[in-house]
Amino acid sequence: MLKIIIPTIMLMPLTWLSKKNMIWINTTTYSLLISLISLSLLNQPSNNSLNFSLMFFSDPLSAPLLVLTTWLLPLMLMASQHHLSKEPLIRKKLYITMLTMLQTFLIMTFTATELISFYILFEATLVPTLIIITRWGNQTERLNAGLYFLFYTLMGSLPLLVALISIQNLTGSLNFLLIQYWNQALPDSWSNIFLWLACMMAFMVKMPLYGLHLWLPKAHVEAPIAGSMVMAAILLKLGGYGMLRITTMLNPQTSFMAYPFLMLSLWGMIMTSSICLRQTDLKSLIAYSSVSHMALVIVAVLIQTPWSYMGATALMIAHGLTSSMLFCLANSNYERTHSRTMILARGLQTLLPLMAAWWLLASLTNLALPPSINLIGELFVVMSSFSWSNITIILMGANITITALYSLYMLITTQRGKYTHHINSIKPSFTRENALMALHMTPLLLLSLNPKIILGFTY
Amino acid sequence: MNMFSSLMLASLSVLTLPIMLSILNTHKNSTYPHHVKNIISYAFITSLIPTMMFIHSGQETIISNWHWMTMQTLKLSLSFKLDYFSMIFVPVALFVTWSIMEFSLWYMHSDPYITRFFKYLLTFLITMMILVTANNLFQLFIGWEGVGIMSFLLIGWWYGRTDANTAALQAILYNRIGDIGFIMAMAWFLSNTNTWDLQQIFMLDPNLTNLPLLGLLLAATGKSAQFGLHPWLPSAMEGPTPVSALLHSSTMVVAGVFLLIRFHPLMENNKTIQSLTLCLGAITTLFTAICALTQNDIKKIIAFSTSSQLGLMIVTIGINQPYLAFLHICTHAFFKAMLFMCSGSIIHSLNDEQDIRKMGGLFNAMPFTTTSLIIGSLALTGMPFLTGFYSKDLIIETANTSYTNAWALLMTLIATSLTAVYSTRIIFFALLGQPRFLPLTSINENNPFLINSIKRLLIGSIFAGFFISNNIYPTTIPEMTMPIYMKLTALAVTILGFTLALELSLITHNLKLEHSTNVFKFSNLLGYYPTIMHRLPPLANLSMSQKSASLLLDSIWLENILPKSISQFQMKTSILISTQKGQIKLYFLSFLITLTLSMLLFNLHE
Repeated sequence: MLKIIIPTIMLMPLTWLSKKNMIWINTTTYSLLISLISLSLLNQPSNNSLNFSLMFFSDPLSAPLLVLTTWLLPLMLMASQHHLSKEPLIRKKLYITMLTMLQTFLIMTFTATELISFYILFEATLVPTLIIITRWGNQTERLNAGLYFLFYTLMGSLPLLVALISIQNLTGSLNFLLIQYWNQALPDSWSNIFLWLACMMAFMVKMPLYGLHLWLPKAHVEAPIAGSMVMAAILLKLGGYGMLRITTMLNPQTSFMAYPFLMLSLWGMIMTSSICLRQTDLKSLIAYSSVSHMALVIVAVLIQTPWSYMGATALMIAHGLTSSMLFCLANSNYERTHSRTMILARGLQTLLPLMAAWWLLASLTNLALPPSINLIGELFVVMSSFSWSNITIILMGANITITALYSLYMLITTQRGKYTHHINSIKPSFTRENALMALHMTPLLLLSLNPKIILGFTY
Repeated sequence: MNMFSSLMLASLSVLTLPIMLSILNTHKNSTYPHHVKNIISYAFITSLIPTMMFIHSGQETIISNWHWMTMQTLKLSLSFKLDYFSMIFVPVALFVTWSIMEFSLWYMHSDPYITRFFKYLLTFLITMMILVTANNLFQLFIGWEGVGIMSFLLIGWWYGRTDANTAALQAILYNRIGDIGFIMAMAWFLSNTNTWDLQQIFMLDPNLTNLPLLGLLLAATGKSAQFGLHPWLPSAMEGPTPVSALLHSSTMVVAGVFLLIRFHPLMENNKTIQSLTLCLGAITTLFTAICALTQNDIKKIIAFSTSSQLGLMIVTIGINQPYLAFLHICTHAFFKAMLFMCSGSIIHSLNDEQDIRKMGGLFNAMPFTTTSLIIGSLALTGMPFLTGFYSKDLIIETANTSYTNAWALLMTLIATSLTAVYSTRIIFFALLGQPRFLPLTSINENNPFLINSIKRLLIGSIFAGFFISNNIYPTTIPEMTMPIYMKLTALAVTILGFTLALELSLITHNLKLEHSTNVFKFSNLLGYYPTIMHRLPPLANLSMSQKSASLLLDSIWLENILPKSISQFQMKTSILISTQKGQIKLYFLSFLITLTLSMLLFNLHE
């Protein structure tokens, strides 16, 4: 695993030692190379894990997320170039360093074997993200957003630390690899219910669960493009990953503790999709759509069947790429119209036809068009929730319909119609932007050829 | 027999060639549409061979090519089902598409994006072929959603127009509601039969509850625009006319009926679903026929007539005759596509005028279009020995002699009669009488692309029914003997409709409509359905999302309860506590007192 972590750390000296005109190209190429190395992890010969050392391991669940993390760094660097072009050199370097630091923490989080080191790294990712949001956001509301982001996550995750210490006392080990063999049922008591809550809430806030999602739209809207991308693509998935990992040791409490959270997620997914229908702010729409998709993941994890786990993993990867792409597209609009308001960008298809094609593809994957991996994820979740309870198909169906509606509403509002006069003189789309979209889209399309590598444990 | 599957696959895969070419970007833009048209004609000719083989030997085949993935006990692979339905439908669809492509060369020739238009049409055709030949539900779903999205793109072709965008979104919305049913059926089959392969589902013949079949019926309702989810079909006429001819008359909209036909082994023993299907079809066929009566937009009339015919197909499934319904799908494709093309010819010649009140007298100016339009209308009404007769007459006869729901049968009969009425209305207003269009319009129908494409379908509209119905083996045996009045009912109601419509039109031709009656309003305003359903539920839903979801829950409750109230509370307490007065002496004194007290207490305790 060090062959990925050390090169990632070495990105920082590379950034600081690069010449002025080379910082983007150097870091992008180098991080792309790192992501190519990490691709080999996708080859998981068996359902057992690949143990690299006592500290790090990877298995079919973490490998796709890890690859997604490394894949996203070059994309973030490509996306940020324009909005940093006016900044002084040292701040650009600082920005890249922050992204690299975040990347390092994320890689280590996904590969940690110890729950405590997982926890520490999970918290450590907050720091660079917070700096990115509050330093490079566009408006003054960014400070407030950063506050929300930090406090929601911290409040959720502090009980987890207590819970972890208590589990350490109980079992003597917090090693993921050992815990899966410790299949002793927790006794049915109040304290264990609180243990369950403490373990799950940290990740539910991170996902976010409906009701605790308020930080997400704020942070997404205020963050610079790279911050939005990494949050939508990976930070939310930390929650899902943590839940998938920790539920194995929380039986049998999950079977009855899950109900209120299942209901809340099912309800919240409809609510947040409905909010999307009324959004005028492009980034806020995409952020709420993330909440709605993540609610599906929460449902899937709490149902706890092999199919739902596969669905959750696939949906996380698919949504990671799709929402990140949507944020990039929103950013490319923002850089031209200087506004996040959708109606101001209408009719762009006439001026930027190739960008319209990317918009179309991104919207179609967002609404889970078969045979994209988004559909595979959603379909598996719907299947498992249907077999859990037939009635959920009503809510799931409503959500599918509303998702299609707001995705296409977004497409139509930004791309179709007559273009307005103030966008007469916008810049054409750059090769950099088209390459960025292509790098998002290609994995989505290629993965639908062989979705098995992102299904996690296929049992 | 050896070449059967390979030829079929060849004709399917040749369709993907132009798409591949467009990626390589080796083609010249100007010739690309012609190239696509030729490819489709090749595919049609190639597909005729396996179809002939199939007619000759009647051997069904399943091809499994590519193993996609296996999850637990479910194996998914790329698999084609070459049975009766797909083998007959593929050449028909290819033939119709071929003609429509040629027609589009004429209709869209001035469009700057004609290449893209042809790519869209071709992609649509490919997804339709996937839908028809799919052997498992997942593959079927790929085609199912694919045609939906392509219909979205094609309806919204003129994306600058608000109406086109609204219609496109509307189509997707109604289709998605239907998709819920499809997904539910998929989920049910997965959890109860553990397979998505069609032949395995039929073989297992699961102990069905109504749930999956209801889901399939909902899916068919959405895709085939049955009552309740019907308004998108007439709205879809905002798209270019070739799109209406291809998607919204002959191929995409019959996908729902096709799905029910595919699943008839499960439906044929379920009486509840049968009667539900029958009633749904009957309501649709009558309601849309009534709506068609008073429309003035020529494309809208034909669209409603399509909807009405789709209702008739669903009725046929309801009386347990899926093969007849399938026959009607095939015959209907020919004349309905041609009717749309004729109307496209008229619309184009009259400078985009779609109102039949502003036409008239076209039989002099456009003799060829007139001929085709009249033959198409006659075929639609079931004039003996034209294409429509072979399926429609059989359907009405079978319905008459069956002993199912008499109400539904009566509705169907009335709708059949109304078919003749609105067909007469088109012919009377658009073609006969004096011209009512502007005298300066240059009418010209002498373009080989137009003439050839319509001619081809014209021949199809006359003979296809005869050929298809002669060459297929009877599977569900239709009623052979019946009283003579039963035999003649279909013909009688049609003639009645013709005469009534002609007489009424002649009588009222020069009269002015002073006050529109309620019946007229009902029909003209589409039964008030869009007025109610497109206003109230969206308003309720959108205001719910704004007021309750966004404002009340998100902005007020969730934001105030957690973050804001906490920070408020902190602020209040810190202000309260830290009201410093600067009395340092007092503070130190109190500190001293506390210190001494505690020390004293501890000492005493010891």
